[in-house]
Amino acid sequence: MSSDNKNKLQIEEDEKHLLLDHNYDGIQELNHPLPSWWNAMFYAGIIFGICYWAYYSFLGGKTLRDELAVEMTVVKQAQAEYKLLTEAYKPEVFEQFNKPENMEQALAVFTDNCLQCHAENGRGDVGPNLTDDYWLVSQGTPETNYKVVYYGSEENGMPAWGEVLSSEEIYQALVYVNSLKNTFHPEGKEPQGEKISE
Amino acid sequence: MSANVHPLGRKLETFSYDDKIVRYFVIATVIWGAVAMLLGITIAFQMAEYRLNLGLPWTTFGRLRPLHTNAAIFAFCGNAIFAGIYYSTQRLLKARLYNDFLSKVHFWGWQLIIVLAAITLPLGLTSGKEYAELEWPIDILITVIWVAFAVNFFGTIIKRRERHIYVAIWFYIATIVTVAVLHIVNSLAIPVSITKSYSMYSGVQDALVQWWYGHNAVAFFLTTPFLGLMYYFIPKAANRPVYSYRLSIIHFWSLVFIYIWAGPHHLLYSTLPEWAQTLGMAFSVALWMPSWGGMINGLMTLRGVWHKVRTEPTLRFMATALTFYGMSTFEGPLLSIKSVNAIAHFTDWIPGHVHSGTIGWNYMITAGILYYLVSKLWNAEIYSKKIANIQFWAATIGLVLYIISMWVAGITQSLMWRAIDETGKLVYPNFIETVVRIVPMYWVRAIGGTLVFLSFLLMAYNLYKTAKNGKGVTDETFEAYALDESSVEKDASQHRKLEGMPTLFAVLSLIAILIGSAIEIVPSILSHQYIEKMDEVRPYSSLELIGRDVYVREGCYLCHSQTVRPMAHEVLRYGKASEAAEFVYDHPFQWGSKRTGPDLARVGGKYSNLWHYRHFAKPQEVTAGSIMPRYSWLFENKIDFNSIPKKMSVMKMLGVPYSKEEIDSGIKDAKLQAQEITEDLSKTGSISPEMQNKEVIALIAYIQRIGIDYGSIEEPLEEDE
Repeated sequence: MSSDNKNKLQIEEDEKHLLLDHNYDGIQELNHPLPSWWNAMFYAGIIFGICYWAYYSFLGGKTLRDELAVEMTVVKQAQAEYKLLTEAYKPEVFEQFNKPENMEQALAVFTDNCLQCHAENGRGDVGPNLTDDYWLVSQGTPETNYKVVYYGSEENGMPAWGEVLSSEEIYQALVYVNSLKNTFHPEGKEPQGEKISE
Repeated sequence: MSANVHPLGRKLETFSYDDKIVRYFVIATVIWGAVAMLLGITIAFQMAEYRLNLGLPWTTFGRLRPLHTNAAIFAFCGNAIFAGIYYSTQRLLKARLYNDFLSKVHFWGWQLIIVLAAITLPLGLTSGKEYAELEWPIDILITVIWVAFAVNFFGTIIKRRERHIYVAIWFYIATIVTVAVLHIVNSLAIPVSITKSYSMYSGVQDALVQWWYGHNAVAFFLTTPFLGLMYYFIPKAANRPVYSYRLSIIHFWSLVFIYIWAGPHHLLYSTLPEWAQTLGMAFSVALWMPSWGGMINGLMTLRGVWHKVRTEPTLRFMATALTFYGMSTFEGPLLSIKSVNAIAHFTDWIPGHVHSGTIGWNYMITAGILYYLVSKLWNAEIYSKKIANIQFWAATIGLVLYIISMWVAGITQSLMWRAIDETGKLVYPNFIETVVRIVPMYWVRAIGGTLVFLSFLLMAYNLYKTAKNGKGVTDETFEAYALDESSVEKDASQHRKLEGMPTLFAVLSLIAILIGSAIEIVPSILSHQYIEKMDEVRPYSSLELIGRDVYVREGCYLCHSQTVRPMAHEVLRYGKASEAAEFVYDHPFQWGSKRTGPDLARVGGKYSNLWHYRHFAKPQEVTAGSIMPRYSWLFENKIDFNSIPKKMSVMKMLGVPYSKEEIDSGIKDAKLQAQEITEDLSKTGSISPEMQNKEVIALIAYIQRIGIDYGSIEEPLEEDE
């Protein structure tokens, strides 16, 4: 079986002088020199590896923590500037969004961000019912709600949305929440917090 | 075996090869290959449509995914390797396999391992370490069978009638030696029961050992043995001499030496000490050319016979395999470059990369080998070259769909994760937005995978018909001279001499892989400063420990990572960057390697208990568009309180500082904590107090604990800006 393979072995004219005297089950070996580009890249890879490792290990390459600190400085500065502009409640902005033609957009913001805890129509699920007249953290007014949404309420599992949403989105959500107030959803969650009568 | 005496004193011996065992392995390869790919498309469709998880524990993604990877790597590729190695080794060494009984033990033992895996993994019996999920009794069985394989292989080498060992054999030696080392070191664990154990290592150390193993399973199970097979089957099928003996030597030793160091590139930006991360990256780049050496030697061997590549299925599949091998071994070093890794890690780019290797390289080359072996072993012409042709195109198109869809999905999602606007906020703060965006790509991938699976069935049919039309199996006998002094070459080069000393060769291979292993791993074991301890980080409570076992059992780590990388967008999304000290009690570590869902390293306290309770029951009702499976059985299964003392004792043995009192009151404490959580649930969501002995409560306890010990410390040491 091995001998007939050997007979059929195809060797090009220009490589005959490279054929070695090796034969394994009819397999023979040429001894072409290493391709020069391969050789060059092989050593380049090793040299790169040594330089790279040396740079990051003791020649002053930034550590991951240094890189993070630089990134965070930029982010924190941007956040601080934005916070100064947005942290206080602005009734005029609320009124600007509080229009019937805007309700669809307001609902969309609520659906994307609030629905998962407060459920459809704000009837409450993981988070409290927003359709009754009991309020857990705020007083139910747009102004007090703004504060809860902006800073969150850690003990009640409410995230600080001021770090996540733009102030415009927060007003949108508040507009929708305001529209739910005292609608008393029939399947609403049982009341939580204090009864606030206006 | 008879012997004639040659005039010059040489002994001519007659012998035959054990091809029966090779046929067995060939059949097993085809069967398990189909199973592995069917599992692959099952989980691919599950990612596109969560309902396909069927709501049953044993059909849910987290349990089937390890089954798919184990079936593809160890069942499909494993049997293919054994078939090819046993066939080629006998011929390259002119000797029958050392012992027919050992061959049978090897074959049936390996199939038993596969069947045990197919039973235990869907049952959720897992060690929670990727590609090494099988529990300790099966690990021991794997070791025993691997030793049987090694004895059989090295026994054949000892009995050989060929003085020098060919390059294919070098690769087989490196494979057998290294896989043994990897498997044993990574699997070390202390049993809790017959079906449960905890890894010897924890946190950073466990991650290091695991990815040293995981990366080198790719190297020494999916690469080196197949390179060896390539060196046998390509020159045989092409009737061409191998291109460069010199290149074989250089690329073999550089590949074996360098590959073993590259594991830490799976842990870039993690809390692994940075010198180790940098080493892993540097060696990954250096690995590029050694990998390509094999591709060049294979493809250049085809010089002058490229017309056969178009007509001969064996050559066509092998040439394509080498091309994909070249592509994925370029992509690998690319992905290990820090800035590329920052984008690609945890995304779908990685499964795309993996499959360009496993489908493009392993499946393609196995197809080539199978066509060759079946026609030789059953003495037949290939039944239909046309079917082989259709198979080739289906597999190639399927694979290209897979790779491209995962590039698109991975890069899209990563760019969404990292987008920060000018006010310092994430542009896509809700993780689900980034998932919904790429679900269409999951469909494309699943369709691509289906094409690959169908192509495999075509091959199975083609091979079956080929074998059936065969002229029957004949046991040929061969003649060769016994090994004697006449084959010693004078003036041979040093390496040529080494090729005549297989034992020394094996020892040198072992040394080559131990150097990198030792330099990276030993410091993590010896040095107390490797990880700075943190007083705030305390061991898990007994209930949290049980909950963590549920987390491991359900394979949560396959979709959720537990490590916040030091990057601004991750800190904004998840919270403080992770610290090494946070994971010291994690046996095993659960950092994961993929974020199909969000990272969970800081999830503790982020949502209410009720949120989690509802979310485990019906994720889609809490997060619209979620692709997470439903875990209804966690609401029925009772917490195994009785296992607590044993589990805590084992953890204590592993260095977790539980006091005797804590262990003694473990059950009581767990019940109390479960009661507290359930009371909170009934207060906020009218959940029945009867739920307090259900597994979901333990899982919530664990989830609410993750990352809070350090995460709740107010901004430490960050005021140096």
